Amino acid sequence: MDPVIEVEGLRKEYRRLRGRRTVAVDGLDLVVPQGGVFGFLGPNGAGKTTTIRCLLGLVRPTVGRCRLLGQEPAGLHRVIGRVGSIVESPTMYPRFSGRRNLELLGRISGIGRARVARALEEVGLAERADDQVKTYSLGMKQRLGIAAALLKDPEVLILDEPANGLDPAGIVEVRELMRRLGRDGRTVFVSSHILGEVQQTADRVAILARGRSVAVGPVHEVLSAGRATGLLVRLDDVPAGLRTLGEAGIEARLDDGVIKVRVPPAEAARVTRTLADRGLYLTELRADEADLETVFLELTGDASREGTR
Amino acid sequence: MSRLLASEFRRFRSRRLVKALVALELLAIVATGVIVVLTQEYVLVGLPDVLMGTSLVLVSVAWILGASSIGADWHAGHITTILTWEPRRGRVMLAKIAASLASVFVVSIVIQALLGAALAAAAAGAGSTAGADAAWLAESAGVALRVALLSTIFAGFGFGLASAGRNSAVALGVGFGYLVIVENLVRGLRPQWTPWLLTENAGLFIVDSPIDFPLLARSTVGAGLYLAAVGAVLLLVASGLFRTRDVN
Repeated sequence: MDPVIEVEGLRKEYRRLRGRRTVAVDGLDLVVPQGGVFGFLGPNGAGKTTTIRCLLGLVRPTVGRCRLLGQEPAGLHRVIGRVGSIVESPTMYPRFSGRRNLELLGRISGIGRARVARALEEVGLAERADDQVKTYSLGMKQRLGIAAALLKDPEVLILDEPANGLDPAGIVEVRELMRRLGRDGRTVFVSSHILGEVQQTADRVAILARGRSVAVGPVHEVLSAGRATGLLVRLDDVPAGLRTLGEAGIEARLDDGVIKVRVPPAEAARVTRTLADRGLYLTELRADEADLETVFLELTGDASREGTR
Repeated sequence: MSRLLASEFRRFRSRRLVKALVALELLAIVATGVIVVLTQEYVLVGLPDVLMGTSLVLVSVAWILGASSIGADWHAGHITTILTWEPRRGRVMLAKIAASLASVFVVSIVIQALLGAALAAAAAGAGSTAGADAAWLAESAGVALRVALLSTIFAGFGFGLASAGRNSAVALGVGFGYLVIVENLVRGLRPQWTPWLLTENAGLFIVDSPIDFPLLARSTVGAGLYLAAVGAVLLLVASGLFRTRDVN
Protein backbone atom coordinates (compact mmCIF):
# COMPACT_ATOMS: atom_id res chain seq x y z
CA MET A 1 0.00 0.00 0.00
CA ASP A 2 1.42 3.39 -0.97
CA PRO A 3 2.14 5.75 1.89
CA VAL A 4 -0.18 8.69 2.26
CA ILE A 5 2.54 11.13 3.28
CA GLU A 6 6.21 10.92 2.32
CA VAL A 7 8.77 13.44 3.43
CA GLU A 8 12.39 13.05 2.34
CA GLY A 9 15.23 15.18 3.64
CA LEU A 10 12.93 18.15 4.11
CA ARG A 11 14.69 21.34 5.09
CA LYS A 12 13.07 24.74 5.34
CA GLU A 13 14.94 27.91 6.09
CA TYR A 14 13.36 31.30 6.58
CA ARG A 15 15.44 34.33 5.72
CA ARG A 16 15.64 37.00 8.36
CA LEU A 17 17.10 40.47 8.47
CA ARG A 18 20.82 40.96 7.84
CA GLY A 19 21.13 37.70 5.95
CA ARG A 20 20.39 35.57 8.99
CA ARG A 21 18.39 32.42 8.57
CA THR A 22 16.09 30.41 10.79
CA VAL A 23 15.96 26.69 10.16
CA ALA A 24 12.40 25.51 10.81
CA VAL A 25 12.81 21.96 9.52
CA ASP A 26 16.17 20.31 9.25
CA GLY A 27 16.43 17.15 7.16
CA LEU A 28 13.14 15.55 8.14
CA ASP A 29 12.26 12.09 6.85
CA LEU A 30 8.78 10.78 7.47
CA VAL A 31 6.47 8.15 6.05
CA VAL A 32 2.82 7.98 7.07
CA PRO A 33 1.05 4.78 6.02
CA GLN A 34 -2.54 4.63 4.91
CA GLY A 35 -5.27 4.35 7.54
CA GLY A 36 -5.36 5.10 11.24
CA VAL A 37 -4.32 8.06 13.31
CA PHE A 38 -0.75 9.34 13.09
CA GLY A 39 0.38 11.67 15.86
CA PHE A 40 2.92 14.34 14.92
CA LEU A 41 4.46 15.63 18.13
CA GLY A 42 6.96 18.25 19.01
CA PRO A 43 7.50 21.31 21.17
CA ASN A 44 6.80 24.82 19.88
CA GLY A 45 9.13 25.68 17.02
CA ALA A 46 9.95 22.04 16.30
CA GLY A 47 8.80 22.40 12.70
CA LYS A 48 5.41 20.66 12.79
CA THR A 49 3.38 23.44 11.19
CA THR A 50 6.10 24.19 8.64
CA THR A 51 6.10 20.53 7.62
CA ILE A 52 2.32 20.61 7.23
CA ARG A 53 2.55 23.83 5.21
CA CYS A 54 5.13 22.20 2.93
CA LEU A 55 2.86 19.18 2.44
CA LEU A 56 -0.03 21.45 1.48
CA GLY A 57 2.07 23.52 -0.88
CA LEU A 58 1.77 26.68 1.20
CA VAL A 59 5.52 27.06 1.66
CA ARG A 60 8.32 25.79 -0.55
CA PRO A 61 10.95 23.49 0.90
CA THR A 62 14.49 24.85 0.76
CA VAL A 63 15.74 21.31 0.19
CA GLY A 64 14.01 17.94 0.06
CA ARG A 65 10.71 16.61 -1.12
CA CYS A 66 7.30 15.99 0.29
CA ARG A 67 4.44 14.08 -1.25
CA LEU A 68 0.82 13.89 -0.26
CA LEU A 69 -1.10 10.95 -1.72
CA GLY A 70 1.83 10.49 -4.11
CA GLN A 71 1.74 14.08 -5.35
CA GLU A 72 4.39 16.71 -4.86
CA PRO A 73 3.08 20.26 -4.26
CA ALA A 74 3.03 21.02 -8.01
CA GLY A 75 0.54 18.21 -8.58
CA LEU A 76 -1.41 18.75 -5.39
CA HIS A 77 -4.53 19.88 -7.24
CA ARG A 78 -4.99 16.28 -8.45
CA VAL A 79 -5.55 15.03 -4.90
CA ILE A 80 -6.61 18.08 -2.89
CA GLY A 81 -10.25 17.01 -3.14
CA ARG A 82 -9.33 13.95 -1.05
CA VAL A 83 -7.56 15.97 1.64
CA GLY A 84 -9.16 17.96 4.45
CA SER A 85 -6.94 20.15 6.58
CA ILE A 86 -6.62 22.69 9.33
CA VAL A 87 -3.41 24.69 9.48
CA GLU A 88 -2.89 26.42 12.82
CA SER A 89 -6.01 28.40 13.72
CA PRO A 90 -8.66 28.03 11.03
CA THR A 91 -9.12 31.33 9.23
CA MET A 92 -12.61 32.25 8.14
CA TYR A 93 -14.25 35.55 7.28
CA PRO A 94 -15.20 36.98 10.68
CA ARG A 95 -18.23 38.90 9.40
CA PHE A 96 -19.75 35.97 7.54
CA SER A 97 -21.71 33.30 9.34
CA GLY A 98 -20.15 29.89 9.86
CA ARG A 99 -22.56 28.43 7.33
CA ARG A 100 -21.76 31.14 4.78
CA ASN A 101 -18.04 30.50 5.17
CA LEU A 102 -18.46 26.77 4.59
CA GLU A 103 -20.80 27.30 1.64
CA LEU A 104 -18.26 29.57 -0.04
CA LEU A 105 -15.53 26.98 0.44
CA GLY A 106 -17.78 24.11 -0.55
CA ARG A 107 -18.72 25.86 -3.75
CA ILE A 108 -15.09 25.56 -4.92
CA SER A 109 -15.48 21.76 -4.91
CA GLY A 110 -19.14 21.70 -5.89
CA ILE A 111 -20.28 20.77 -2.38
CA GLY A 112 -23.90 21.63 -1.69
CA ARG A 113 -25.76 23.03 1.29
CA ALA A 114 -26.87 19.65 2.60
CA ARG A 115 -23.27 18.55 3.11
CA VAL A 116 -22.46 21.87 4.78
CA ALA A 117 -25.36 21.37 7.17
CA ARG A 118 -24.18 17.82 7.91
CA ALA A 119 -20.64 18.96 8.65
CA LEU A 120 -21.92 21.67 10.98
CA GLU A 121 -24.11 19.10 12.70
CA GLU A 122 -21.19 16.72 13.06
CA VAL A 123 -19.09 19.25 14.97
CA GLY A 124 -21.96 20.51 17.09
CA LEU A 125 -22.25 23.94 15.50
CA ALA A 126 -25.66 23.63 13.89
CA GLU A 127 -27.36 25.95 16.38
CA ARG A 128 -24.86 28.77 15.92
CA ALA A 129 -24.26 28.18 12.21
CA ASP A 130 -25.98 31.39 11.14
CA ASP A 131 -24.16 33.65 13.59
CA GLN A 132 -21.19 35.72 12.50
CA VAL A 133 -17.89 33.93 13.02
CA LYS A 134 -16.54 36.93 14.95
CA THR A 135 -19.02 36.09 17.72
CA TYR A 136 -17.66 32.53 18.05
CA SER A 137 -15.41 31.45 20.88
CA LEU A 138 -11.97 30.06 20.07
CA GLY A 139 -13.32 26.55 20.49
CA MET A 140 -16.23 27.23 18.16
CA LYS A 141 -13.87 28.60 15.52
CA GLN A 142 -11.83 25.45 15.89
CA ARG A 143 -14.95 23.33 15.42
CA LEU A 144 -15.79 25.35 12.32
CA GLY A 145 -12.30 24.62 10.99
CA ILE A 146 -12.82 20.93 11.62
CA ALA A 147 -16.19 21.13 9.85
CA ALA A 148 -14.43 22.74 6.87
CA ALA A 149 -11.86 19.96 6.87
CA LEU A 150 -14.61 17.32 6.96
CA LEU A 151 -16.63 18.98 4.21
CA LYS A 152 -14.83 17.14 1.42
CA ASP A 153 -15.41 13.77 3.12
CA PRO A 154 -11.64 13.38 2.89
CA GLU A 155 -9.49 10.25 2.73
CA VAL A 156 -6.73 12.14 4.50
CA LEU A 157 -7.27 14.60 7.29
CA ILE A 158 -4.39 16.86 8.29
CA LEU A 159 -5.11 18.54 11.59
CA ASP A 160 -2.68 21.02 13.09
CA GLU A 161 -3.39 21.29 16.81
CA PRO A 162 -7.11 20.56 16.43
CA ALA A 163 -7.78 20.67 20.17
CA ASN A 164 -6.59 24.28 20.50
CA GLY A 165 -9.14 26.25 22.47
CA LEU A 166 -11.55 23.37 22.89
CA ASP A 167 -13.15 22.67 26.24
CA PRO A 168 -12.76 19.18 27.76
CA ALA A 169 -15.99 17.98 26.14
CA GLY A 170 -14.80 19.31 22.81
CA ILE A 171 -11.45 17.58 23.19
CA VAL A 172 -13.20 14.28 23.83
CA GLU A 173 -15.43 14.84 20.79
CA VAL A 174 -12.44 15.54 18.56
CA ARG A 175 -10.68 12.48 19.95
CA GLU A 176 -13.71 10.33 19.20
CA LEU A 177 -14.01 11.85 15.75
CA MET A 178 -10.36 11.11 14.95
CA ARG A 179 -10.72 7.56 16.23
CA ARG A 180 -13.83 6.99 14.17
CA LEU A 181 -12.23 8.38 11.03
CA GLY A 182 -9.13 6.27 11.62
CA ARG A 183 -11.24 3.16 12.11
CA ASP A 184 -13.09 3.92 8.87
CA GLY A 185 -9.82 3.48 7.02
CA ARG A 186 -9.05 7.17 6.61
CA THR A 187 -5.70 8.59 7.53
CA VAL A 188 -5.68 11.24 10.23
CA PHE A 189 -2.40 13.11 10.54
CA VAL A 190 -2.61 15.17 13.69
CA SER A 191 -0.07 17.46 15.26
CA SER A 192 -0.63 18.13 18.90
CA HIS A 193 0.86 19.22 22.17
CA ILE A 194 -1.67 17.27 24.19
CA LEU A 195 0.34 14.11 24.49
CA GLY A 196 -2.22 12.23 26.54
CA GLU A 197 -4.75 12.76 23.76
CA VAL A 198 -2.36 11.51 21.14
CA GLN A 199 -1.43 8.50 23.24
CA GLN A 200 -5.10 7.58 23.52
CA THR A 201 -5.89 8.21 19.88
CA ALA A 202 -2.88 7.56 17.67
CA ASP A 203 -1.70 4.27 16.26
CA ARG A 204 1.67 5.66 15.26
CA VAL A 205 3.61 8.75 16.23
CA ALA A 206 6.58 10.79 15.13
CA ILE A 207 8.32 13.05 17.59
CA LEU A 208 10.01 16.15 16.23
CA ALA A 209 12.63 18.29 17.91
CA ARG A 210 14.51 21.20 16.36
CA GLY A 211 13.23 20.28 12.94
CA ARG A 212 14.32 16.66 13.08
CA SER A 213 12.53 13.43 13.77
CA VAL A 214 13.82 11.91 17.02
CA ALA A 215 11.41 8.97 17.23
CA VAL A 216 8.90 7.42 14.90
CA GLY A 217 6.83 4.25 14.90
CA PRO A 218 3.86 2.59 16.53
CA VAL A 219 2.97 4.22 19.83
CA HIS A 220 3.86 1.14 21.90
CA GLU A 221 7.28 0.90 20.26
CA VAL A 222 8.05 4.54 20.87
CA LEU A 223 6.90 4.15 24.46
CA SER A 224 9.04 1.08 25.01
CA ALA A 225 12.02 3.04 23.75
CA GLY A 226 11.59 5.23 26.82
CA ARG A 227 14.28 4.76 29.42
CA ALA A 228 12.09 4.55 32.51
CA THR A 229 11.78 0.78 32.65
CA GLY A 230 11.14 -1.09 35.89
CA LEU A 231 8.35 -2.54 38.00
CA LEU A 232 5.67 -1.04 40.18
CA VAL A 233 4.82 -3.15 43.21
CA ARG A 234 1.99 -2.81 45.73
CA LEU A 235 1.72 -4.84 48.91
CA ASP A 236 0.24 -4.39 52.38
CA ASP A 237 3.47 -4.18 54.40
CA VAL A 238 5.44 -1.63 52.42
CA PRO A 239 8.34 -1.11 54.90
CA ALA A 240 8.94 -4.89 55.11
CA GLY A 241 8.83 -5.11 51.34
CA LEU A 242 11.39 -2.35 50.91
CA ARG A 243 13.65 -3.96 53.51
CA THR A 244 13.38 -7.40 51.93
CA LEU A 245 14.16 -6.14 48.44
CA GLY A 246 17.12 -4.13 49.77
CA GLU A 247 18.52 -7.19 51.54
CA ALA A 248 18.23 -9.17 48.30
CA GLY A 249 20.26 -6.50 46.45
CA ILE A 250 17.28 -5.24 44.47
CA GLU A 251 17.13 -1.45 44.19
CA ALA A 252 13.72 -0.16 45.26
CA ARG A 253 12.18 3.03 46.58
CA LEU A 254 8.80 4.24 47.73
CA ASP A 255 6.97 6.62 45.42
CA ASP A 256 3.45 7.77 46.25
CA GLY A 257 2.49 4.56 48.09
CA VAL A 258 3.95 2.32 45.39
CA ILE A 259 7.31 0.58 45.48
CA LYS A 260 9.33 1.33 42.35
CA VAL A 261 11.74 -1.50 41.66
CA ARG A 262 14.69 -0.89 39.35
CA VAL A 263 14.79 -4.20 37.52
CA PRO A 264 13.69 -4.93 33.96
CA PRO A 265 10.10 -6.21 33.66
CA ALA A 266 11.52 -9.51 32.42
CA GLU A 267 12.90 -10.14 35.94
CA ALA A 268 9.49 -9.78 37.64
CA ALA A 269 9.63 -13.44 38.81
CA ARG A 270 12.76 -12.72 40.87
CA VAL A 271 10.97 -9.90 42.68
CA THR A 272 7.82 -11.89 43.41
CA ARG A 273 9.84 -14.91 44.65
CA THR A 274 12.02 -12.77 46.93
CA LEU A 275 8.97 -11.18 48.55
CA ALA A 276 6.92 -14.39 48.71
CA ASP A 277 9.79 -16.21 50.43
CA ARG A 278 9.36 -13.75 53.33
CA GLY A 279 5.59 -14.16 53.33
CA LEU A 280 4.98 -10.83 51.60
CA TYR A 281 2.31 -11.23 48.92
CA LEU A 282 1.74 -8.69 46.16
CA THR A 283 -1.54 -6.91 45.59
CA GLU A 284 -0.33 -5.41 42.30
CA LEU A 285 2.60 -5.85 39.98
CA ARG A 286 3.02 -4.04 36.67
CA ALA A 287 5.66 -2.69 34.39
CA ASP A 288 6.69 0.89 35.08
CA GLU A 289 6.32 2.08 31.50
CA ALA A 290 7.06 5.58 30.48
CA ASP A 291 4.08 7.48 29.18
CA LEU A 292 4.29 9.45 25.98
CA GLU A 293 4.90 12.65 27.88
CA THR A 294 7.95 11.22 29.61
CA VAL A 295 9.37 9.84 26.38
CA PHE A 296 8.59 13.10 24.61
CA LEU A 297 10.34 15.20 27.23
CA GLU A 298 13.36 12.90 27.28
CA LEU A 299 13.70 12.82 23.51
CA THR A 300 13.05 16.46 22.84
CA GLY A 301 15.21 17.44 25.82
CA ASP A 302 18.07 15.35 24.43
CA ALA A 303 17.70 16.95 21.03
CA SER A 304 17.72 20.42 22.56
CA ARG A 305 20.85 19.67 24.54
CA GLU A 306 22.57 18.30 21.43
CA GLY A 307 21.49 21.37 19.55
CA THR A 308 23.04 23.74 22.06
CA ARG A 309 26.36 21.91 22.29
CA MET B 1 -12.35 27.26 -12.54
CA SER B 2 -16.00 28.23 -12.96
CA ARG B 3 -16.78 27.04 -9.42
CA LEU B 4 -13.88 29.01 -8.04
CA LEU B 5 -15.03 32.03 -9.97
CA ALA B 6 -18.60 31.62 -8.74
CA SER B 7 -17.32 31.34 -5.17
CA GLU B 8 -15.24 34.50 -5.57
CA PHE B 9 -18.14 36.46 -7.05
CA ARG B 10 -20.34 35.38 -4.18
CA ARG B 11 -17.65 36.25 -1.66
CA PHE B 12 -17.19 39.72 -3.19
CA ARG B 13 -20.91 40.32 -3.20
CA SER B 14 -21.29 39.20 0.40
CA ARG B 15 -18.71 41.56 1.82
CA ARG B 16 -20.00 44.21 4.15
CA LEU B 17 -17.68 46.90 2.81
CA VAL B 18 -19.04 46.36 -0.71
CA LYS B 19 -22.60 46.56 0.53
CA ALA B 20 -21.86 49.64 2.64
CA LEU B 21 -20.10 51.55 -0.15
CA VAL B 22 -22.76 50.70 -2.73
CA ALA B 23 -25.47 51.69 -0.26
CA LEU B 24 -23.72 55.02 0.34
CA GLU B 25 -23.51 55.65 -3.38
CA LEU B 26 -27.20 54.85 -3.81
CA LEU B 27 -28.04 57.16 -0.93
CA ALA B 28 -26.01 59.92 -2.57
CA ILE B 29 -27.90 59.40 -5.83
CA VAL B 30 -31.27 59.66 -4.10
CA ALA B 31 -30.12 62.75 -2.21
CA THR B 32 -28.86 64.31 -5.44
CA GLY B 33 -32.19 63.67 -7.15
CA VAL B 34 -34.15 65.16 -4.27
CA ILE B 35 -31.91 68.23 -4.01
CA VAL B 36 -32.15 68.83 -7.75
CA VAL B 37 -35.93 68.58 -7.72
CA LEU B 38 -36.22 70.92 -4.75
CA THR B 39 -33.69 73.58 -5.70
CA GLN B 40 -33.36 73.91 -9.44
CA GLU B 41 -34.77 73.12 -12.81
CA TYR B 42 -32.46 70.43 -13.99
CA VAL B 43 -31.49 70.33 -17.64
CA LEU B 44 -30.89 66.71 -18.61
CA VAL B 45 -28.54 67.55 -21.43
CA GLY B 46 -25.87 68.27 -18.79
CA LEU B 47 -25.80 64.64 -17.63
CA PRO B 48 -22.39 63.80 -19.17
CA ASP B 49 -20.81 66.58 -17.10
CA VAL B 50 -22.46 65.18 -13.96
CA LEU B 51 -21.10 61.72 -14.73
CA MET B 52 -17.62 63.14 -15.24
CA GLY B 53 -17.95 65.02 -11.98
CA THR B 54 -18.88 61.93 -10.02
CA SER B 55 -16.12 59.84 -11.60
CA LEU B 56 -13.65 60.77 -8.86
CA VAL B 57 -15.94 59.21 -6.24
CA LEU B 58 -16.52 56.07 -8.27
CA VAL B 59 -12.83 55.62 -9.06
CA SER B 60 -11.87 56.14 -5.41
CA VAL B 61 -14.48 53.63 -4.26
CA ALA B 62 -13.25 51.20 -6.93
CA TRP B 63 -9.69 51.51 -5.65
CA ILE B 64 -10.88 50.74 -2.11
CA LEU B 65 -12.98 47.78 -3.26
CA GLY B 66 -10.16 46.34 -5.35
CA ALA B 67 -7.68 46.69 -2.52
CA SER B 68 -9.93 45.33 0.18
CA SER B 69 -11.11 42.34 -1.86
CA ILE B 70 -7.65 40.76 -1.60
CA GLY B 71 -6.31 42.71 1.38
CA ALA B 72 -9.05 41.34 3.62
CA ASP B 73 -8.15 37.81 2.56
CA TRP B 74 -4.54 38.35 3.49
CA HIS B 75 -5.40 40.16 6.69
CA ALA B 76 -7.77 37.43 7.89
CA GLY B 77 -5.40 34.67 6.73
CA HIS B 78 -8.15 33.31 4.52
CA ILE B 79 -5.74 32.84 1.62
CA THR B 80 -4.33 29.82 3.49
CA THR B 81 -7.78 28.29 3.77
CA ILE B 82 -8.55 28.87 0.09
CA LEU B 83 -5.24 27.33 -1.00
CA THR B 84 -6.09 24.16 0.92
CA TRP B 85 -9.10 23.88 -1.39
CA GLU B 86 -7.50 25.08 -4.64
CA PRO B 87 -3.72 24.88 -4.53
CA ARG B 88 -3.20 26.25 -8.06
CA ARG B 89 -2.29 29.77 -7.13
CA GLY B 90 -2.56 31.10 -10.66
CA ARG B 91 -6.20 30.07 -10.78
CA VAL B 92 -6.94 31.49 -7.35
CA MET B 93 -5.39 34.81 -8.34
CA LEU B 94 -7.14 34.89 -11.70
CA ALA B 95 -10.51 34.14 -10.12
CA LYS B 96 -10.04 36.82 -7.50
CA ILE B 97 -8.95 39.43 -10.04
CA ALA B 98 -11.78 38.56 -12.41
CA ALA B 99 -14.44 38.60 -9.69
CA SER B 100 -13.18 41.84 -8.21
CA LEU B 101 -12.72 43.77 -11.45
CA ALA B 102 -15.88 42.51 -13.14
CA SER B 103 -17.92 43.33 -10.05
CA VAL B 104 -16.49 46.83 -9.86
CA PHE B 105 -17.27 47.39 -13.54
CA VAL B 106 -20.87 46.26 -13.11
CA VAL B 107 -21.34 48.30 -9.93
CA SER B 108 -19.97 51.41 -11.68
CA ILE B 109 -22.30 50.98 -14.64
CA VAL B 110 -25.33 50.33 -12.44
CA ILE B 111 -24.61 53.29 -10.14
CA GLN B 112 -24.26 55.63 -13.12
CA ALA B 113 -27.39 54.26 -14.74
CA LEU B 114 -29.31 54.86 -11.52
CA LEU B 115 -27.87 58.36 -11.23
CA GLY B 116 -28.88 59.04 -14.82
CA ALA B 117 -32.36 57.69 -14.18
CA ALA B 118 -32.75 59.80 -11.03
CA LEU B 119 -31.66 62.95 -12.83
CA ALA B 120 -33.85 62.12 -15.85
CA ALA B 121 -36.83 61.79 -13.52
CA ALA B 122 -35.92 65.09 -11.88
CA ALA B 123 -35.57 66.77 -15.26
CA ALA B 124 -38.85 65.35 -16.50
CA GLY B 125 -40.65 66.50 -13.35
CA ALA B 126 -39.18 69.93 -12.68
CA GLY B 127 -36.67 70.72 -15.39
CA SER B 128 -36.01 70.22 -19.04
CA THR B 129 -35.24 67.23 -21.24
CA ALA B 130 -34.65 69.39 -24.28
CA GLY B 131 -31.66 68.29 -26.33
CA ALA B 132 -31.66 64.78 -24.87
CA ASP B 133 -31.47 63.15 -28.26
CA ALA B 134 -29.64 60.11 -29.64
CA ALA B 135 -26.32 61.95 -29.81
CA TRP B 136 -26.70 63.01 -26.18
CA LEU B 137 -27.51 59.42 -25.21
CA ALA B 138 -24.43 58.13 -27.02
CA GLU B 139 -22.25 60.75 -25.34
CA SER B 140 -23.68 59.94 -21.91
CA ALA B 141 -23.23 56.23 -22.45
CA GLY B 142 -19.65 56.84 -23.63
CA VAL B 143 -18.82 58.81 -20.49
CA ALA B 144 -20.44 56.19 -18.27
CA LEU B 145 -18.50 53.43 -20.02
CA ARG B 146 -15.20 55.29 -19.68
CA VAL B 147 -15.87 56.00 -16.00
CA ALA B 148 -16.67 52.32 -15.44
CA LEU B 149 -13.51 51.25 -17.30
CA LEU B 150 -11.39 53.70 -15.35
CA SER B 151 -12.94 52.47 -12.10
CA THR B 152 -12.09 48.91 -13.13
CA ILE B 153 -8.50 49.86 -13.94
CA PHE B 154 -8.10 51.65 -10.61
CA ALA B 155 -9.63 48.67 -8.82
CA GLY B 156 -6.86 46.69 -10.50
CA PHE B 157 -4.26 49.13 -9.12
CA GLY B 158 -5.69 48.72 -5.64
CA PHE B 159 -5.87 44.95 -5.98
CA GLY B 160 -2.31 44.66 -7.27
CA LEU B 161 -0.81 46.82 -4.54
CA ALA B 162 -2.83 45.17 -1.75
CA SER B 163 -1.88 41.72 -3.00
CA ALA B 164 1.81 42.56 -3.24
CA GLY B 165 1.76 44.21 0.18
CA ARG B 166 -0.63 41.61 1.61
CA ASN B 167 -2.73 44.35 3.16
CA SER B 168 -5.45 46.79 2.05
CA ALA B 169 -3.80 49.63 3.95
CA VAL B 170 -0.66 49.26 1.82
CA ALA B 171 -2.69 49.86 -1.33
CA LEU B 172 -4.53 52.83 0.13
CA GLY B 173 -1.37 54.36 1.60
CA VAL B 174 0.75 53.84 -1.48
CA GLY B 175 -2.08 55.00 -3.72
CA PHE B 176 -2.65 58.19 -1.79
CA GLY B 177 1.06 58.88 -1.44
CA TYR B 178 1.75 58.31 -5.12
CA LEU B 179 -1.23 60.05 -6.66
CA VAL B 180 -1.36 63.04 -4.34
CA ILE B 181 2.26 63.60 -3.42
CA VAL B 182 4.54 61.99 -6.01
CA GLU B 183 2.51 62.94 -9.08
CA ASN B 184 2.14 66.53 -7.91
CA LEU B 185 5.86 66.75 -7.26
CA VAL B 186 6.60 65.29 -10.70
CA ARG B 187 4.12 67.66 -12.31
CA GLY B 188 5.95 70.60 -10.74
CA LEU B 189 9.56 69.46 -10.92
CA ARG B 190 9.65 67.31 -14.05
CA PRO B 191 6.87 68.50 -16.39
CA GLN B 192 8.41 66.48 -19.24
CA TRP B 193 7.33 63.33 -17.39
CA THR B 194 3.69 64.40 -17.40
CA PRO B 195 2.68 61.94 -20.17
CA TRP B 196 3.36 59.09 -17.74
CA LEU B 197 1.31 60.41 -14.84
CA LEU B 198 -1.73 58.34 -13.97
CA THR B 199 -3.89 61.30 -12.94
CA GLU B 200 -3.24 63.16 -16.21
CA ASN B 201 -4.06 60.11 -18.31
CA ALA B 202 -7.14 59.39 -16.20
CA GLY B 203 -8.30 62.96 -16.73
CA LEU B 204 -7.87 62.71 -20.49
CA PHE B 205 -9.61 59.34 -20.57
CA ILE B 206 -12.68 60.70 -18.77
CA VAL B 207 -12.89 64.13 -20.40
CA ASP B 208 -12.13 62.75 -23.88
CA SER B 209 -10.59 65.99 -25.02
CA PRO B 210 -6.91 65.63 -26.00
CA ILE B 211 -6.72 69.32 -26.73
CA ASP B 212 -7.15 70.02 -22.99
CA PHE B 213 -4.13 67.81 -22.22
CA PRO B 214 -1.50 69.05 -24.66
CA LEU B 215 1.43 67.67 -22.66
CA LEU B 216 0.19 64.10 -23.01
CA ALA B 217 0.31 64.05 -26.80
CA ARG B 218 -1.90 61.03 -27.03
CA SER B 219 -5.51 60.13 -27.78
CA THR B 220 -8.25 59.20 -25.32
CA VAL B 221 -7.88 55.56 -26.31
CA GLY B 222 -4.11 55.86 -25.94
CA ALA B 223 -4.54 57.19 -22.39
CA GLY B 224 -6.90 54.33 -21.57
CA LEU B 225 -4.49 51.78 -23.00
CA TYR B 226 -1.60 53.27 -21.05
CA LEU B 227 -3.58 53.09 -17.79
CA ALA B 228 -4.69 49.55 -18.57
CA ALA B 229 -1.09 48.55 -19.29
CA VAL B 230 0.08 49.95 -15.95
CA GLY B 231 -2.74 48.06 -14.21
CA ALA B 232 -1.87 44.86 -16.06
CA VAL B 233 1.80 45.15 -15.09
CA LEU B 234 0.83 45.69 -11.44
CA LEU B 235 -1.46 42.67 -11.50
CA LEU B 236 1.20 40.54 -13.21
CA VAL B 237 3.77 41.48 -10.58
CA ALA B 238 1.26 40.75 -7.81
CA SER B 239 0.42 37.38 -9.39
CA GLY B 240 4.11 36.52 -9.75
CA LEU B 241 4.72 37.32 -6.10
CA PHE B 242 1.69 35.32 -5.08
CA ARG B 243 2.90 32.29 -7.02
CA THR B 244 6.40 32.33 -5.58
CA ARG B 245 6.11 33.57 -2.03
CA ASP B 246 5.43 31.37 0.98
CA VAL B 247 2.00 31.66 2.55
CA ASN B 248 2.51 31.67 6.29
